Amino acid sequence: MAVTEIVPAPAPKIERVETSWSRLRYYAAAHPLGMIGAAIMVVFVFAAIFANFISPYDPIATSAATTLKPPGAAHWLGTDAMGRDILSRIIYGARISLAVGLGSTALGCVVGVALGLTSGYLGGWVDLVIQRVVDVLQAMPLLVLALVMAAALGPALNNTILAIAIPLIPYSARVIRSNTLALREQPFVEAARAVGMSEFRIAIRHVLPNTVAPLIVIATAQLGAAILTEASLSFLGLGVPEPHPSWGRMLSESAAEYVRTAPWLVIFPGIAISLAVFGTNLFGDALRDILDPRLRD
Amino acid sequence: MTAKLTALAAAVMAVASIAVASIANVQAAEQPKHGGILRIFHRETPPSLSIHEEATFSVNIPAMAIFNNLIIYDQHIPQNSIDTIRPELATSWAWDKSNTALTFKLRQGVKWHDGVPFTAKDVKCTFDLLQGKAKDKFRKDPRKGWYDNVTDVTVKGDDEVTFHLKRPQPSLLAMLASGYSPIYPCHVSAAQMRTHPIGTGPFKFVDEKQNEYIKLARNPDYWKKGLPYLDGIEYTIIKNRATAVLAFVAGKEDVTFPTEMTAALEADIKKQDPTAICELKPINVSTNLIVNRDKPPFNNPDLRKAMAMSLDRKAFIDIILQGHGDIGGSLLPPPEGVWGMPPEVLKTIPGYGDVKKDREEARAIMKKLGYGPDKPLKIKVSTRNLATYRDPAVVLIDQLKTVYIQAELEPVESGAWFAKVARGDYAVGLNLTGNGIDDPDQSFYENYGCGSQRNYTHYCNKDLQKLFDEQSQMTDVAKRKKLVWEIDKKIQEDVARPILFHARTGTCWKPYVKNMTIMSNSSYNGYRFEDIWLDK
Amino acid sequence: MLLTLFGISVLVFVMLRLVPGNIADILFDAAGMIDTADKAKLEHDLGLDKPIVVQYGEWINGLAHGDLGYSYVSEKPAIDEILPRIPITAKLAGLALAFSVIFGVPLGVISAVKQNTVLDYFLRVISLSGLSMPAFWLGLLILMACVAWFGFIPIYTDPPKGFWDALWLFSVPAAAVGFRSSALVMRLTRSAMLEVLRQDYIRTARAKGASDRTVNYRHALRNALLPVVTVIGIEAAFLMGGLIVTETVFNIPGIARFLVEAIRWRDYPIVQNLVMFIAAVAVLINFLIDLLYAVLDPRIRYAG
Repeated sequence: MAVTEIVPAPAPKIERVETSWSRLRYYAAAHPLGMIGAAIMVVFVFAAIFANFISPYDPIATSAATTLKPPGAAHWLGTDAMGRDILSRIIYGARISLAVGLGSTALGCVVGVALGLTSGYLGGWVDLVIQRVVDVLQAMPLLVLALVMAAALGPALNNTILAIAIPLIPYSARVIRSNTLALREQPFVEAARAVGMSEFRIAIRHVLPNTVAPLIVIATAQLGAAILTEASLSFLGLGVPEPHPSWGRMLSESAAEYVRTAPWLVIFPGIAISLAVFGTNLFGDALRDILDPRLRD
Repeated sequence: MTAKLTALAAAVMAVASIAVASIANVQAAEQPKHGGILRIFHRETPPSLSIHEEATFSVNIPAMAIFNNLIIYDQHIPQNSIDTIRPELATSWAWDKSNTALTFKLRQGVKWHDGVPFTAKDVKCTFDLLQGKAKDKFRKDPRKGWYDNVTDVTVKGDDEVTFHLKRPQPSLLAMLASGYSPIYPCHVSAAQMRTHPIGTGPFKFVDEKQNEYIKLARNPDYWKKGLPYLDGIEYTIIKNRATAVLAFVAGKEDVTFPTEMTAALEADIKKQDPTAICELKPINVSTNLIVNRDKPPFNNPDLRKAMAMSLDRKAFIDIILQGHGDIGGSLLPPPEGVWGMPPEVLKTIPGYGDVKKDREEARAIMKKLGYGPDKPLKIKVSTRNLATYRDPAVVLIDQLKTVYIQAELEPVESGAWFAKVARGDYAVGLNLTGNGIDDPDQSFYENYGCGSQRNYTHYCNKDLQKLFDEQSQMTDVAKRKKLVWEIDKKIQEDVARPILFHARTGTCWKPYVKNMTIMSNSSYNGYRFEDIWLDK
Repeated sequence: MLLTLFGISVLVFVMLRLVPGNIADILFDAAGMIDTADKAKLEHDLGLDKPIVVQYGEWINGLAHGDLGYSYVSEKPAIDEILPRIPITAKLAGLALAFSVIFGVPLGVISAVKQNTVLDYFLRVISLSGLSMPAFWLGLLILMACVAWFGFIPIYTDPPKGFWDALWLFSVPAAAVGFRSSALVMRLTRSAMLEVLRQDYIRTARAKGASDRTVNYRHALRNALLPVVTVIGIEAAFLMGGLIVTETVFNIPGIARFLVEAIRWRDYPIVQNLVMFIAAVAVLINFLIDLLYAVLDPRIRYAG
C-alpha cells in the first residue's frame, strides 16, 4: 500500500478532466454545437432503448392493407411497400444502428487499445510484429476489408459488427501506441518502475488511463463512420439482413424503386442516418475540444 | 338516273372508304426505317454469352439476337404455344408415322458470322454437345435433361436432319423453339462460344467488357433479306437499379432491362416519363417453397399440409407485387399460361381456398401434433440474401405465425445457396424457379422428376412419374391439358414445392422503339430483335 | 514496405478463400443446378482443387513474372481487365482530392480565423453534414436532381471524348465523393490552424506588430499544412470506400466497382491482384507522405 502512495500522480492536465464534472459542464456550455449533438444522441439512444414502448407499430409486421401509405395521422412517416410503419422501423433501426455503431467501435477500440498498448509499451520485436499487422490492415481500404469480411462471415447482425470492427482496429492502435510511447518515458512511469511496480501494472494503472482522452476522441469519430459503413454495406447488399430494420437497408433498397411515387421511403431513413451521424460528429467535436489539451485555451 | 347516281355515289364512297382505310393501315404499319443503335440497359455482367451453358435471361436477352434456332416462337405473338412456332433455320418439319422421328428440312445459303456456310452437321454438333456425346464439352449443361428422350440426331446431306426419339414427345418442338435452343457452329469451340459467340443470327457479337457493355452489330449477310433494321444493339451494364431507371428516364437508354421492372418502378417511370410504353406481364417465374422432406420436422406430411394451409397467397401478391401477380400451381395459370390449372381446379386444393377456414384446420393439425400458441414450432426459413427472395420470406414468416410456427429468417449469400440446399441443410427454403418455356414436360421433369438436378427437394413420386410420361406422349392437346391439371394438383397436394405466386414484371421502352413485343408466358424466348426499328 | 505487401497478399488470399463458395459455385448457382462432376472438373481446370499453399505460390510466382492469370468470368487476361480501368478511377480520385483541397483548405482557414463566429458555426455544420450523409444517398440525390431539373443524367455510358468531356463527366461524381473529403480536410485545416495560432511564435509575431492577416496566412497556414498533408494521404486510402459506392451510383467502370463485382463472382485473380495494386498505392502514398513530412517539417530528421 505504501508503495502506491509514493507513486507520483499521472499528468495533471488529464486528471482535471477525469475528475471535475463542473469543468465538463462549463465546456458543454461553451460548445453549443456539442450540446446539440449530445441532445441528438440522447434522443437516438432513448429511441433505441425504449423502442418497444414508443414505436407505434410492430416494425416487421407486413400488411397488404397499408402498403405505401404516405405520411399521415395513422402512420406519421408513412409505410413501405410491405405495409410496415416507417416510424416504427426507424425507431427500431436506431437499435440496430447503435448496436452496429457502438458494437463495432467498442470492439475495434478494445482490440486496438490492447495492440497499441502492448506494442508501444513493450517495444522491441512485439512492437515490430504488431506494427506490421496494423500496417497490413490499414493498407486495405476500409470498405473493401469490411466487404470481404462481411461476405466471409455471412449475413448476420453480429457478423456485420465484426466486419466493421476489424478495419477500425489499426486507427486506435496507432494513436494509443504513439501515446504510450510518449508516456513510457514520463517521469511518473520511471518512478513507478523505480519502486518496483510490475510492467503490466504500470501499463494498466498509469499508462492506460492517460490514453483515455485520445481514445474517446477516436471512438466518437468512429461511431459515425461505423454507422455509415453499415449503410454502404447494405447498399452493396452485405449489411445487416432482414428482419432487422436497418436504416442502411431501408434506404438503399427503397431508393431504387420509389423515388417519385413514395419519396418518404427515401427521405426519412436518409435523414435518420445523417442526423444520427451528425449528432455523434458534433458531440465528438466538442469532446475533442474539451479533452484534447492542446486545443484548450 | 337517280339510281345510277346513287350507285355511283355508293361506289365513290366505297372507294373513298377503302382509300381511307388503307391510309389508316399504312399509318398503323409505318414504313420501317433502317439504321440506329438500340440501347438497352443490362442488370449485370452475364456469366457468359453461351446460351446453352447458362440458365438466366441475363444471357438470353443479349445473346439471342446472335443466333438462330431450327424453329422459333413467333416473335410478335406474346403467348408462346405449339401454334405459334415458326420456321427459322429449318424451312419445314414433319413427324414420322410413329411420332418418334422428327425431320427438319434446312435452309440453304445461310452463313455463320465468320463466313463459313451453315449445314446440317452444325445441327448435329449442337445436340451432340448438349447431350455430352461430343469430344468438346460444355462447362455446364443445365438443359441436358430436355433431350433425355432423344436417342440420336442424324444428318442426311447438307439440308436434312432427323431427331430420333425413344417415345413420342410433342413437347420437343416447344423446347426447340425456345430462346434456349440456338444452333451452334461445329467449327467454333465451346470455350470460344462463351467469350466470342459465332451465330447465324441478325446481329454479330462485337465486344463485351465486364461491368461495362455488350455490343452487337448488324449482320449484313443475314439470310432474311433487308433485316435487321438496326445498325446495332448496345447493352450498357448498370448494376444499380435506381441509376438504371434514371438513365432510361433521362433518355440515355431506349429500353429497360426486359421483364425486370416491378409495378412500383413502372409507376415511377410513368410518372417521370409519361411517353414511355410499359408492359407488365407474367414471366413464368414462380416464387415457391422448398421443404426439406427428408429431415424432421417436415418429414411429417401432416406438418407439411398444415404449413401449406397457412398460406395466404393473395396477401403475398398484394404485399410483394402490389397486386400484380397470379395464383397458380407449378404451371403458369391462364389466361397467359397455356397449361396452368383454371381457378375452379385450383380452388379444390388445400391452401388455395378460404384462408380463414384453412388456417383454422391447420391450427387443429398443429395442436394434434403437440404445438400451440405457447409451444410454437421453431424453424428457420432460409433464402438467398437478395430482396426478391427476402421480401416474400418476410411475409411468409409473418403468415406462419398464424399456425404456431415461429420462423426466423436465415439469409444466405448467393454463392452458398445451392450448396446449402444440396447438403439438405435447411428446413424451409424460399426459392424462385424460372421456366424456360410454358410447357408441362419442361416443368414436371425438371422440377419434380425423380433424380433431376433441379429437383432440389428430391421429391420423387413413382406414380406421378408415370403420369409425367403419359401426358408427355399425348398429342391431343385438350386431353393432355386435363391430365396436366390433375398432375399439377397432385403435386400441390403433396406439398412438393408449394407455389406462392407467379410474378408479373414489366418492361418499358421509348415510343420511338417499334416492333417491340414482350412475351407473356416466358421471359427467355422473345429477344431475336431482327425487325425492331427506331422511328427517330 | 515489402513486408507489408507480403502481409496483404497473405491476408487477401486467405480471406478470399474464407468467403463461402468459389467461382464454380457461383456459375452453377446462376444456372440453378448442381452437377458435382462438371463442377469438380471446372474447379480442376481452374486449379482450385490444389492445396491452398500451392495456389498461393503459383499466384506470387506469376505476379513476380508479371503474369496475373485470367479472369474467371471473362476468361480474358486479368491484366487486360485491370489496367484499362485504373486511369478511370485515378481521374475520379484525383479530381475528388483536388475538390477537397480547393474547398477544404481555404474554408478551414477562414473557419479557424473566424473561430466561434456565425460564419465558423455555419461552415462547421456544413462540413459535418458532409461527413454525415451516406455517400450513395448523396450521389442518388444528385442524380435525381439532375434528371428532374435538367433532364440529363451525368453517368458514364460511353468513354468521354477529349479532355473537357472527361472533366465534365467526372466532375459531378467527383464532387459527390469530394464533398466528404473536403469536409474532412476543412475540419483538419481548422483545428491545425487553431493549434498553430495559439503557438508562441505566432503570439510573438503578433506582438512584434505583424498584421493579423500576414500572421494568419503566412505563418500559420504553412505550419498547419503539415497535418493536413497527412490526412490527405490517409484520405486517399479512405477515398476508396467512397469511390466504390460512387462508381456504382454513377455507373463508372473503374476499379472500385470492378473490385466489388469481382468479389461477388469470387474472381480470385482479379480480386487478389487488384487489392495488391490498391494496397501498393496506399503504401506508396504513405511513404511519399513520410518524405513530404520530413521536407516540410524541419524538426523531423530521420536518423542514419
